[in-house]
Amino acid sequence: MNPIVSCTLLITLGLGTTITFASSHWFLAWMGLEINTLAILPLMAQHHHPRATEATLKYFLTQATAASTLLFATTTNAWLNGQWDIQHMTHPLPITLFTIALALKIGLAPLHIWLPEVLQGLDLVTGLIMSTWQKLAPFALLLQIYPANSTLLIMLGLASTLIGGWGGLNQTQLRKILAYSSIAHLGWMILVLQFSPALTLLTLFLYIIMTFSTFLVFHLNNATNINTLATTWTKTPALTALTPLLLLSLGGLPPLSGFMPKWLILQELTKQDLALTATLAALTALLSLYFYLRLSYALALTMFPNNPSGTSPWRLQSPQIMYPLALSITAALTLLPLTPTVTALMMP
Amino acid sequence: MLKILIPTLMLIPTTWLTSAKWLWPTTLAHSLLIALASLSWLKNLSETGWTSLNLYMATDPLSTPLLVLTCWLLPLMILASQNHTTTEPINRQRMYITLLTSLQIFLILAFGATEMIMFYVMFEATLIPTLFLITRWGNQAERLNAGTYFLFYTLAGSLPLLVALLLLQNSTGTLSLLTLQFSGPTILTSFADKLWWAGCLLAFLVKMPLYGVHLWLPKAHVEAPIAGSMVLAAVLLKLGGYGMMRILPMLEPLTKELSYPFIIFALWGVIMTGSICLRQTDLKSLIAYSSVGHMGLVVGGILIQTPWGLTGALILMIAHGLTSSALFCLANTNYERTHSRTMALARGLQMALPLMTTWWFIASLANLALPPLPNLMAELMIITSLFNWSWWTLALTGTGTLITAGYSLYMFLMTQRGPLPTHIIALEPSHSREHLLVALHLLPLILLILKPELIWGWTA
Repeated sequence: MNPIVSCTLLITLGLGTTITFASSHWFLAWMGLEINTLAILPLMAQHHHPRATEATLKYFLTQATAASTLLFATTTNAWLNGQWDIQHMTHPLPITLFTIALALKIGLAPLHIWLPEVLQGLDLVTGLIMSTWQKLAPFALLLQIYPANSTLLIMLGLASTLIGGWGGLNQTQLRKILAYSSIAHLGWMILVLQFSPALTLLTLFLYIIMTFSTFLVFHLNNATNINTLATTWTKTPALTALTPLLLLSLGGLPPLSGFMPKWLILQELTKQDLALTATLAALTALLSLYFYLRLSYALALTMFPNNPSGTSPWRLQSPQIMYPLALSITAALTLLPLTPTVTALMMP
Repeated sequence: MLKILIPTLMLIPTTWLTSAKWLWPTTLAHSLLIALASLSWLKNLSETGWTSLNLYMATDPLSTPLLVLTCWLLPLMILASQNHTTTEPINRQRMYITLLTSLQIFLILAFGATEMIMFYVMFEATLIPTLFLITRWGNQAERLNAGTYFLFYTLAGSLPLLVALLLLQNSTGTLSLLTLQFSGPTILTSFADKLWWAGCLLAFLVKMPLYGVHLWLPKAHVEAPIAGSMVLAAVLLKLGGYGMMRILPMLEPLTKELSYPFIIFALWGVIMTGSICLRQTDLKSLIAYSSVGHMGLVVGGILIQTPWGLTGALILMIAHGLTSSALFCLANTNYERTHSRTMALARGLQMALPLMTTWWFIASLANLALPPLPNLMAELMIITSLFNWSWWTLALTGTGTLITAGYSLYMFLMTQRGPLPTHIIALEPSHSREHLLVALHLLPLILLILKPELIWGWTA
């Protein structure tokens, strides 16, 4: 793609999200979401591959449906209340509609079916944008409304953690596994949204750090399925030793960073007398852990036979810039001891 | 506390900066020095029982023996792993020692924690190094299966524990071990409270492991390398017993009725796992099942909640830690020579490795709890307190003791006595490293009976 074009698209992508962040008016917020969607579509289809085109089309259709539902919800809200302000929504009907529309937009179960399909059609960098940056704008809106129906959010959350774990069990394609992992993490965020929005934000940040590192590792190894992953142990030995830890951090095992959001969310849920929900959510996290564990087995804990020329690539200098990965992987592994600091910063 | 923790942390740079030639001697000396320094914890002069206090960590008579055992075990693990890692590249050897060290750090933090949540986090944190030890350093393809079993059994038990602990924190406001036993009695009446009780104990019962949720342990032991088996049998299982002793005072009024099925399972497990041992062909698996049986006694002793029961349980945990670790070391010396764990293939070893037979003999006697070893003292205390609770338990514990003697004898006769099969007449003689290794297990065990108050916990 022409650098000028891709640069314009990326700036527009950022612009759309920023508009949504900055708006207090529903119409502007909706506009930001639409700009955001339209800017990423050419990026998704930049490799003229049938799968990429298909993914773009699927993404376009679901996002358009979500955006029009959102527009419908906001006009209903304006009709009922007579104003377009984001923070003054009171009527339960538009709020519920609005929650469902955003759930479709970020891919929460049971509105998640598009996400693995779309992510599978993209290359890893666009996939990275799709599963991190594209979640920010909808979450900015979700954090601002006061949810009307607490059962709806808890059901969405539990269904997402369950289906995110369940769906990933049988996958061999890394991008699909990451899509299901994303669904499960979003489920945790939605679960605690109504009790502590700041905690949702913290979880989102940590999810972004961990997902960013995982996508970059896969990108570095050029791996899109488990078999490729199994023969990458010769490329970057130190990174190969760290990646299982990264995957287990995604799975939420202490003493890695990924345990922090799970711990704080379970704490918040037990404070709200939702011990059963908390236990269910914690146990569904085991399902996700299973496929992360399988990836770690293939990647580093077993050494698959490699052809003789395949065992030397670690001597070659990698052309990729490693600093962002080094930073994010450090954060993704070692933030847990800083839990008091992080909570003090995020949840004053 | 820090005077042990910081040297243990510094063991990691030591591992990576020492020259390849001196790697094993240096790390061994370093970790032995740490173990020596850790003995100072045993002198406890404080009124409250808690010493070495800092903001997050402290020791008391319950945790001290386990902490010292943890520190003692690292040099032994290093000593035991030296031979089977010689074929690996030097960086992998360093990585291996780092893994063992990180496990030790997490274990010290777990046993030394003064907060239940801190204990929980560290309890879970030991999973990752152990998992890597089993799945990365094991020998056979089944190790992946064993690793999965290990991780998922433990986590399925311990995630409800986290929720249960957080609930407890909401009702009492603190989870500090220093003050928790003084908090007022909680009113536990509803069905949910009973579930909460089960949630608090289940994780530890899986970790012990209680008969019925023990399937992960033999698999993990069989597949793990020698250091993994040693630390698993000697220390990791004891996390379960330690956790139970810590949390039981908080569950007070419920335990009396609700613990019946678990005591029954534990005692039934002693007999069942003993019977499994009697017809076992795999040496490591036999030792693993015998661990499950001994831990059954520990569970019984803890759940009965009398001073004698708790003391017996603690002594048995320490004594069993040293004994089973020694047995795994002995099994590994055979394995490194015959490359098989099948007992039928490595018989009559007294002819080939006569001095090793002495060690096998002492270790087997310790396993079947012969006087004057602390194993006997512990079993007597547990059996007595169980008998005091109900006479019928004697049928189970008595049969269990008999079967334990039976399979210990079976193990000893099978491996050591009889004619030497012709396919193993050219065995490598035993090294002084191996003799030292077993001696460092068994000497403390024998010496401990001279001063058992070091390991008998609060009763002293």
